[in-house]
Amino acid sequence: MATTIRASSVRPAFGVRGIRRHMGQILLHMLLVAGCLATLLPFLWMFLGSFKSSSEIIRIPPSFFPENPTLVNYQTIFNDPLVSIGRYYLNSIIVAVSVVVLTLFTSSLAGFIFAKYRFFGQNVVFSFILATMMIPFQVLMIPSYLILAKLGLIDSLWGLIVPAAVDAFGIFMMKQFIEGIPTELMDAGRIDGATEWGIYFRVILPQLGPALATLGILTFMFRWNNYLWPLVVITSNERRTLPIMLTWYSGMQYQSYDLTMAASVLVVVPVLIVYAAFQRWIVQGFALSGFK
Amino acid sequence: MGARASKRGRRRGGLAAGQRRFVLGVSIPTIIYSGGLSLLSIVWAFALMFFEYSPGRSGGPILGLGGNNPFVGLAHFRNMIEGVTLESRLFRTSLGNTLIFAFAVLPLNLLITLPLAALIESVDERFKSMFRAIYFLPVVTTSVGVALMWGHLYHPQQGLLNAAIRGLGGSPVYWLNDPRLKFLGVSVAMWSVIVAYLWQDYGYNMVIFVAALQGIPQDLKEAATIDGANAWQVFSRVTVPLLRPTLLFVCVMTMLSSFQVFDVVQVMTNDGNPANQTRVLVLDIYLNAFRYQRMGWAAAAAFVLLLAVVIVTVVQMRVLRTEWEY
Repeated sequence: MATTIRASSVRPAFGVRGIRRHMGQILLHMLLVAGCLATLLPFLWMFLGSFKSSSEIIRIPPSFFPENPTLVNYQTIFNDPLVSIGRYYLNSIIVAVSVVVLTLFTSSLAGFIFAKYRFFGQNVVFSFILATMMIPFQVLMIPSYLILAKLGLIDSLWGLIVPAAVDAFGIFMMKQFIEGIPTELMDAGRIDGATEWGIYFRVILPQLGPALATLGILTFMFRWNNYLWPLVVITSNERRTLPIMLTWYSGMQYQSYDLTMAASVLVVVPVLIVYAAFQRWIVQGFALSGFK
Repeated sequence: MGARASKRGRRRGGLAAGQRRFVLGVSIPTIIYSGGLSLLSIVWAFALMFFEYSPGRSGGPILGLGGNNPFVGLAHFRNMIEGVTLESRLFRTSLGNTLIFAFAVLPLNLLITLPLAALIESVDERFKSMFRAIYFLPVVTTSVGVALMWGHLYHPQQGLLNAAIRGLGGSPVYWLNDPRLKFLGVSVAMWSVIVAYLWQDYGYNMVIFVAALQGIPQDLKEAATIDGANAWQVFSRVTVPLLRPTLLFVCVMTMLSSFQVFDVVQVMTNDGNPANQTRVLVLDIYLNAFRYQRMGWAAAAAFVLLLAVVIVTVVQMRVLRTEWEY
């Protein structure tokens, strides 16, 4: 593809046709920038709103930029005895990280045996795992809740971690990826006297870097932002994850949008920072997961 | 694993003794865990819909069914179709709202994402990833945050939208609170939620389309240009047909997600207000199961959700079937 002469390379840069092409490009960019502004507007609105005092935010007509930007909303949140922000961050981090570690481990292991070994009933089991992926979560959430209740895991972070430890999508993705690893590497390892576990740790895992990173990031984002299941499982204040806390807090401060916006900023911005850092991976991961 | 299996295995270099132990050691816990959990959940979900079940009550011996949680057979489904009780009317409303939501979101989403992806695809490399990153930002944002942002944007007194309207001389619109407002037959509150949902979600499809567009060989487009096609014809006769597999995938996934919408709706409209105009199916299931503790009924509603999803997916796969590869 790189060696074909692109039609665009013989397009004129100057003259009437050239100017039209440049105009076209400029228009294109303007459209895209306008779209970016439309996309960023709600974020900006939320961010600016968090710095407005309670009297300013209810003013009619509302101001866009805060006239007397103030940190009082953030102070209120941090000083609120009912709201221990650090605790909620910790909960979200614990759940997200635990699920990521467990999922990466179980998915790569299970993907490994499905990809590189033959055993009885293999296809049936794998098809079953695929099928569970297709069933919407809302169908399974009621019995999952009842099972957790029987196990006494309601209202605990374990209740968020345990059901998520094995991920059908992760197994599927890892199997696809591992199938591409040459079996000769495994045989070489066996000749060198490695056990199967050794092969897993020393031959397969190192090859899985990008796939693990992608799956890890996707899982992390999903678990961090997850709302419905924590809403069902968590009932006490100390164990709330960030999205649940945000709903609860905004309900408490009903119609006090200055406080609500500040709380939203506290919950949304860390994710945005992570996103900005790993943006390439994240977007690629979502696109890839879409394709497969 | 019988003797025949291991002999076959060893011939193909498959399952020697140590390997068998490894495979069993991994597969059995995995199968028990995910298979057991999933299988149990599926069976229980399927059974629940034939009972009147509340978790507080003591039921029969198997999974708490029976006893104080009586078997009611198809009564739930009969109630859904022809009943006049409050919950059945709410169910039908929810189902209708969900269908409206899903069938409104799909065309609007495609209308935004496909041209946008084409635009992004045709800019310089340097800007492409920057635009992609910005447009994708709402996708990674927590739904609750999205709901609160947009809830404030829509606010009758404090919101930006009404401020703009007031600035242009109009009177403020109650985007999320007035049950009487309708646009094209659908309540304005529903449209407001749809807009917020689209805003959060479109980046996902756009990124997929951009990746797909990059996979279309330049040669084909150039051949068409040389044969005299203008840009629009190249797009509609060459590009779009080649996008068919991706289109199918995007349509199926978008429909799936919009049938399962919950977070944004629940937070933005306070459980389906005004007057249940934004009450969607998952919201109905959630409220019935966990607020009113009527899990048998909720399980039946969830089954309808499953049916709807399966039907819609199958129909799409038949309509958008890929017939040829290039």
